[in-house]
Amino acid sequence: MTPDLSIYGDNIKALADLAGDFELRSSMDVMTWYRREWLAIADALGFAQQFAAMPTAIPTTDDRIAAMNAVGLAAFERSLQGRTPGASDEQARVQSAALRQLAASARMTGELWRVTADPTTLPAGACYSESGRSLRAFYPDTAPGYFGDGWPGPPPRAESACGWTTPLVLHLGTFPWVYSTRLDSTGPGLRWPTSGPVLEGLQVAVSMFEPRTNLQQDARQVAAIFHHFITHTAPLLAHVPDHRAGRAEPGRLYHRGGLLHVHQGSLHIAGLDGPRGHIAAPAYNYIIRRFADFFAVRRATLRALPKLSPEIQRLAKDSADPFLRRHVQEVARAS
Amino acid sequence: MSRNLWLTLGATVGVGGAVFLAGRRASAASPGASSGTAGNLPPIELAPLPRATDVSGDLQKNWGDTPLDLRPLFELMAEVSKIPGTGRLFATFAYRESQFVTTAQNGNATGEQDERDSSRAAYRNQKDQNPPLKYGEQAAEFGSGGLFGLLAPYFLWTGVPEVGKRAPLLQAPPELVFQPRAAAFGAVVYMQRLLTRYRIDDHADLKAGWASPSLLKGDRGSEKYHEVRARFLDDAKALGIDLTDTSTIPEKLDASAWPGVPAVFKALVGALPKELT
Repeated sequence: MTPDLSIYGDNIKALADLAGDFELRSSMDVMTWYRREWLAIADALGFAQQFAAMPTAIPTTDDRIAAMNAVGLAAFERSLQGRTPGASDEQARVQSAALRQLAASARMTGELWRVTADPTTLPAGACYSESGRSLRAFYPDTAPGYFGDGWPGPPPRAESACGWTTPLVLHLGTFPWVYSTRLDSTGPGLRWPTSGPVLEGLQVAVSMFEPRTNLQQDARQVAAIFHHFITHTAPLLAHVPDHRAGRAEPGRLYHRGGLLHVHQGSLHIAGLDGPRGHIAAPAYNYIIRRFADFFAVRRATLRALPKLSPEIQRLAKDSADPFLRRHVQEVARAS
Repeated sequence: MSRNLWLTLGATVGVGGAVFLAGRRASAASPGASSGTAGNLPPIELAPLPRATDVSGDLQKNWGDTPLDLRPLFELMAEVSKIPGTGRLFATFAYRESQFVTTAQNGNATGEQDERDSSRAAYRNQKDQNPPLKYGEQAAEFGSGGLFGLLAPYFLWTGVPEVGKRAPLLQAPPELVFQPRAAAFGAVVYMQRLLTRYRIDDHADLKAGWASPSLLKGDRGSEKYHEVRARFLDDAKALGIDLTDTSTIPEKLDASAWPGVPAVFKALVGALPKELT
């Protein structure tokens, strides 16, 4: 039974179609789909060579998807070896500890895509020391942006040693574009320390490729952020012509297959400018594709649900998402 | 080659500023607006930009802020020409000449005569010595353009010293320089000529020769020579490329393994449409 994704919004099925459909129980489908999506990630984040060098055999482990993710993350980790650390060890430690705590609690609440927390409740208060000064370990991204209308409060309950006056908000589902207002061609998360946080950030993002984590995530949160994103980018895209093969002009920005494309030119220097600020074309494409991936995995998981482990079925049955619970009931009735 | 840079940015046309291609000094016009010489030709479709997996060299170390999707092209240029280490230099050249905009054009802004004067002079001075260009007059009026800011007549005569009338771009319009693979072909052939025909003391000398080969001969040591060199060093720094990193850019570039114009053309451009050959 193919689930009806339109319950999350009229355009969600078309969004999922952008990433393509696949059968979760088919080894070949899984390999093809996950490899293609990982290649898109690798292209966007600059580790396509490392990814291409990884083994391409169909994983034979019980958890094929975890194996595919492990391959992608290993390629990403390998690409980090040539990069400068990017920040101090202490910042890396504080960020890593914060990410672990945020991810653990967000999995319980079903809101891993966007985590929001009082920074003073995080390890070291999400502060680190450098040259005798206490600094925030993350950017306070609370102004209205492409992912939401802002998160000015509530203020931290405790006094912050490094000046936090707002919640910490991270959009981990679109890592490395974790901030609503910083959608430049290089995602800010890629500038996190290479010794841990940058890898952990991508790990969280791609964990939603796995059926278990995908079902734990409340799809309503993802859909709401997606709708906000397209509401604010659609007026900008309205000015971008559709790409027509054989009739494209070099150097021109086009809309092609739901994504942005520069014909015979660099996507990385292209972008959109609107009232919510600048959004680089690679950021736009990457973000759309992560949303699409999420719902494509959700669709494939729900279709395969009756054949998945009892533990995963229970996740769906006990989900905070009423649509998901209803789907489980409908499947049970139908069978 | 660029003086007052004028970037041709197709993406900005008619979009009310909502869409742009970044250029630190960018102005805008549509690619066909400058001369329209290719107006009667069907669109030229060359292969797309190479991808990371099309090259074997490193694409991460010492590339600075070079756009991720252009690095494979710069690296492919080094690999195809068999002049190791030139990829990052081409990136630095492109940073200055076009701000990485493939359709950059110098010479079509109102009051911007300098580059057109140069392309007119190039055509006038060389047309009797070189095979005829089908779009010679248009090339003379074009100025310079593409990723590497190549002067249109010289770009279309690329390869003439090696293969004479069999040079591959003689029938092509100057707008071909907006195709990054074609611009890359012109650039690597010129790089090879600089390395084999001129005294090149260091990497900055290459940029001086890029601006004008006269700066490597009679004008070597002139104010202009020093100005171009200093700007190149500043560009590398601004882009984040360390020119002294010998693990990625050899101290002395070596063009001795140059495979020849036809092989380089085939590997970078492939074949031109029938109308242009």
